[in-house]
Amino acid sequence: MIRFILMVLAAYVVMLAQCFADTDDQVAARSDVIDFAGAFQNDGFKIRDGNVFGRVSKDHPEVVAVNLYSGNSYWFTASTGQKAERLKLSVFEDNGKPVSYLPYEFSGRAAAGFSPDASGLYYVKVALQEGQPATFCLIYSYK
Amino acid sequence: MFIFLRRASSDRAGARPYRLHVPRLRRSFALPALQSSRLTQAGLDTRLSIGKLPSMPLLRKWLAVSVIALVSTAAALADQQPSEPQTVSDVPLSPDELKNAISVDALTVPTPGEFFKAIEKGAKPNWTSQYRPPISIKSTDRAQMALNLGALIADGYIAVEAHDGQQVKNVGKDVLALAKKLSVSQSVLARGQSITQFAENNAWDQLNEELEATQNEVKKALVENRDTDLITLVSIGGWIRGTEVVTGLIIENYNPEDAKLLRQPALVSYLKGKLTQLPEKIRNDPLVQSVNSNLNGIQKMVSFPADHVPTIEEVKELNNAASKLTKEIGASE
Repeated sequence: MIRFILMVLAAYVVMLAQCFADTDDQVAARSDVIDFAGAFQNDGFKIRDGNVFGRVSKDHPEVVAVNLYSGNSYWFTASTGQKAERLKLSVFEDNGKPVSYLPYEFSGRAAAGFSPDASGLYYVKVALQEGQPATFCLIYSYK
Repeated sequence: MFIFLRRASSDRAGARPYRLHVPRLRRSFALPALQSSRLTQAGLDTRLSIGKLPSMPLLRKWLAVSVIALVSTAAALADQQPSEPQTVSDVPLSPDELKNAISVDALTVPTPGEFFKAIEKGAKPNWTSQYRPPISIKSTDRAQMALNLGALIADGYIAVEAHDGQQVKNVGKDVLALAKKLSVSQSVLARGQSITQFAENNAWDQLNEELEATQNEVKKALVENRDTDLITLVSIGGWIRGTEVVTGLIIENYNPEDAKLLRQPALVSYLKGKLTQLPEKIRNDPLVQSVNSNLNGIQKMVSFPADHVPTIEEVKELNNAASKLTKEIGASE
């Protein structure tokens, strides 16, 4: 009986650990997006030590809320870690209207450069244009 | 960013370069590596010289025709492309998309360092003027400790901006002491050592990164200790202290561009929303209740229209509110 309880407890601990651990997809996406953002780091941008994971498919994009400062310039970067996917990033005002930004898309990577005129809330939309549903990692850099 | 393509015509000597205009962002944005690789992939190699192929007349002719065609296309593209950031014809977000947008502390709440970076764009701020006396927390109130930890990390950013190694080390010690009380010192210990080392070597960029990492380590350790609720308080403490500092700097050297930075209605609303989700025990903490009610007033002060520039009186009012709250958070009893 004790052995059974211990086994159940061990299984519970393993399951709990798996819930909190990053999946392989997330690790690949995060590693690739940091590598990608390194290009902006060379240009004086500082990568924020924070990220968000999500899952996108062609008909299910994800939207992430960010608070930006008008004096700063930002590069949002996302990656699926898979070359077969085609990601797209776009930026929107707090009321959902699209803003002007510099887009970049290549393989499973996408970026959007943006300098806000006003401080406040903005939204970054991560959409999958081509490919199978995928896990993405979104980060941003600023200067 | 302009890429010059040489015209392949008979009067090569007087050839004018065509310009392929690649859109650039207003403020010192550049995408050199990415854009140039894109153009290279498209076959727009600017180093291609037809004159260097005298012994291959057919190939020369073929290349000349190709380049002329390419240049015509590029010139047409140049007319179409705007010099400002591309206005992308995205469909506006739907109410559902706005409602279901993901908000996470790690991306939605800016770090104090990010706030401070924005104010550095104008005149050089006098960071040392924003130092405050060391705080001593004798209370065992975990909510107060979490709020103070956030505020202390913001103090670390101020010391880094001031390039004051000794102050960075002092703040680092205070952060560690408070982390011990919150039982998250193990994860912060290694960071504390790095902070001291970087401060001794005047490695300011690395220090900025280390402070951000410290804040994230603290939050991660709080999750592991099942103190997830305190994470919100660390973020709030940092934001309040950051607001006090930024408003203080704006008052010292007022200019409208800096004053516009203070518009953060959604951020305060987000933080207040997180406060309401805290367990009743923490919500009923007198200090948390005071923070919550003071945030109501602060929210009104930072919720102005995008085209409004706060006056110096408005900045002073916000500074008073943030200073009062910082003192309350740092009060020993």
